[in-house]
Amino acid sequence: MTPALEISGLTKRFGDKLAVDTIDLSVPPGSFFGLVGQNGAGKTTTLSMAVGLLRPDGGSARIFGEDVWSAPERAKAMVGVLPDGLAMPERLTGLEVLTYLGLLRGLDKEVVARRAEDLLAVLELDGAEKTLVIEYSTGMRKKIGLATALLHAPRLLVLDEPFEAVDPVSAATIKTILRGFVAGGGSIVLSSHVMALVEQLCDRVAVIDRGTVAAAGTLDEVRGASSLEETFVELVGERDNGIKELSWLSR
Amino acid sequence: MAVALTTLTMARMKVAMLRHAFRGTRAQTAGTGAVLGALLAAGTIYLAFTDPDLLAAGYAVWLLGWILGPIFMGGGDETLRPEYFSLLGLSPRRLAAGLLVSAFVGVAPLVSLTALLGLLVAGVRLGVANALVAVPATALQLAVFVLLSKVSVAVVGLALRTRPGAIVSGLLNGAILAALGQIWVFFMLFGQTGVPAVVWYLPSGWGLLAVQGEWWALGALALLALLLLGAWAALLSRRAGAARPSTRGRRPMRAATANGAIVAKELRTWSRDLVRNHQLTFALSYGVCFAASPLVLGWDGMLPYAGPIFIVMAAAMTSNLYGTDGTALWLTLMTPSASDVRGRQLAWLSAHAPVAIVLTVAFTAVTGGPWPLILALLPALLGGATGLVPLVSAYGLVPGTDPHRRAGNPLRTSEDDGGLTGLAYLMLALVLLTAVPAGLVAIWYGWAGVAVGVVTGVLCHWGLGLLAERRLRSQGPELLDVMRSGRKPQATMKFRFEELSKTHKTIAWLCFGFGAIPLVPQGIIAAVFVTNGMLRHTWFLATYMPSGLRYPVAAAFVALGLAMYGTGVWVVKPRSSR
Repeated sequence: MTPALEISGLTKRFGDKLAVDTIDLSVPPGSFFGLVGQNGAGKTTTLSMAVGLLRPDGGSARIFGEDVWSAPERAKAMVGVLPDGLAMPERLTGLEVLTYLGLLRGLDKEVVARRAEDLLAVLELDGAEKTLVIEYSTGMRKKIGLATALLHAPRLLVLDEPFEAVDPVSAATIKTILRGFVAGGGSIVLSSHVMALVEQLCDRVAVIDRGTVAAAGTLDEVRGASSLEETFVELVGERDNGIKELSWLSR
Repeated sequence: MAVALTTLTMARMKVAMLRHAFRGTRAQTAGTGAVLGALLAAGTIYLAFTDPDLLAAGYAVWLLGWILGPIFMGGGDETLRPEYFSLLGLSPRRLAAGLLVSAFVGVAPLVSLTALLGLLVAGVRLGVANALVAVPATALQLAVFVLLSKVSVAVVGLALRTRPGAIVSGLLNGAILAALGQIWVFFMLFGQTGVPAVVWYLPSGWGLLAVQGEWWALGALALLALLLLGAWAALLSRRAGAARPSTRGRRPMRAATANGAIVAKELRTWSRDLVRNHQLTFALSYGVCFAASPLVLGWDGMLPYAGPIFIVMAAAMTSNLYGTDGTALWLTLMTPSASDVRGRQLAWLSAHAPVAIVLTVAFTAVTGGPWPLILALLPALLGGATGLVPLVSAYGLVPGTDPHRRAGNPLRTSEDDGGLTGLAYLMLALVLLTAVPAGLVAIWYGWAGVAVGVVTGVLCHWGLGLLAERRLRSQGPELLDVMRSGRKPQATMKFRFEELSKTHKTIAWLCFGFGAIPLVPQGIIAAVFVTNGMLRHTWFLATYMPSGLRYPVAAAFVALGLAMYGTGVWVVKPRSSR
């Protein structure tokens, strides 16, 4: 079966720093794939290259067999992306952002209107219909970003830190939506550094460390008998052994 | 003691930040700025050896530069933002004092201090006491310059939080800058007596007054500095508060196509973003005031050009269109089948063309002509602007700060204000160029110029838009990366320029640096003056020629300018290695 996302040999260098070093990953269709790693491990860089937002120095990325760089129109139509911390059309309201993006995606006007209404209601953004995106809180920005990713009913979702700054109630809603998406045959790749969350949601995991894949496979293959957090710390953490405490903090 | 410590820490912080910032292209920009500033400062000091009236006038110009400069160059120096210190619980006064001291660290204050050495020169020429007074006068004068600049930026920043404020400050700033551009009108009005006496009584003249023995002026300077410091402290404490969220009803988006959606998005941004409100009213006010100011002399010949000037200025204001939207470009990259450039062009046109057309037709009707020339310029400039705005912003992209990450100063859309200013000037020159063919044909053959204007306008709109579209398609991810990291990538920064020999570099610098002089003022503008019968005009050589030689001389200058640019491009252009 064609993988939902296939990354082979992706490499990116920023100046002297090798941010991503020939990463290979394959996301089977219908899987919920978690990408974990420390800050600066190369998760965002990898995902940006995988969806065509950052040009790799080497390697390729295919979405359901379509190359992101040589067939961008077909590849990008099948993926919904939530990048971390990028701007939106800031002077539009949530409804307007979705209308704008739906039309850009070539959807019919009525379809856009119906879906936008649904998304805003489910994500509890419909109360803020007069608020411009620039006035949104960080959590609301995440939610409208997720709505834009879902709007064209893609077959693959690529989400960079989708739960960061999202309150617990909204997080539960988002989890339900994502689980439903996978149950309906969709595939998801998400990055996070919250291990519990990845353990809770994902069936497959890859651990990224200093630009390379430290471990990859099903959740049980990667974590073995211990928890994902323990495995993760074992794989990437504490190279100099021992967590230092701040002695001056205690009275 | 504590105040001294805070200020010292802030000053050191700024030095450290400047050291990091002044690398690569920004170091070059700062270097170029410093050289230009040093030349201006030397010129000002020279005035001190000649005529005190001229020196006072010179300082008035420095004052206006300090007040207006930051408003047009991206909000002035904000290396240290007040927001950095908001959690420290400093009192507004202490914060302002600390920021003031750190504001003296930098290229611009250093250059101004050099220019203010003219006070010392003037003092020494008068006597020992005068020379001694010059020392505190210099310091106070510099403090007043810096503080006036900070206060004016803070006031405009506050004004930009409300729509009426944005519009009023746009109108005022446009009017002031236009008046400066047309300063000769006012000189003529005041009977060509040379320097108006008012320059002595502006705060910029007080230092010189003190040096000349009017001791009260020194006290007045000190008092003004204190008042300004208080005002700035008050303004700083108001700046931290966020703008009120909008609660107005919104008109629904009626677009049904991708292109329509882009137009709708852009038009909403034009009407809702107060910085864009400010830019639009600024360009409008500049165009009207620039063209109307000769009316005070009873000459209405420039009035019809209000619309064309508005177009050129509006294009310059939007020269960093993509940069201002920041990383929102990712949405464009994710929807490759829609054409972002065409939508933006249409939106630019629908935001500006109605105003430009009404202005042009109304004012030309008032003066009764010259219809062919004006109607030729109008479509040529509109098309040129809509073609160049996306093209220049896609090629010369200055990485901006994402709108939702901007600090309390709404004018500050990018950290690279030198780059923004350069891009705006480039746009001014390029948009003017697009109207040259239509203008020349209209001058020589009348109505045929209108057809030429329509043709070049449509061609520019279509062709330059196509180039911009291609650039976005091929280099989109790179542009996004520039905006995400705030840095131009090493590869384009190095260009080919670094590899050139010293001679070639010098030639290229001279060509690009000075090509505009023969091309624009001595060529194009001189030709316009000749057309309008404005002869023997200041330094426009062609206007001094006998009648048969005027156009040929202007044309020769245009050719020289083009040749200089051509040579520059030829020198820099990549060549096959063997």
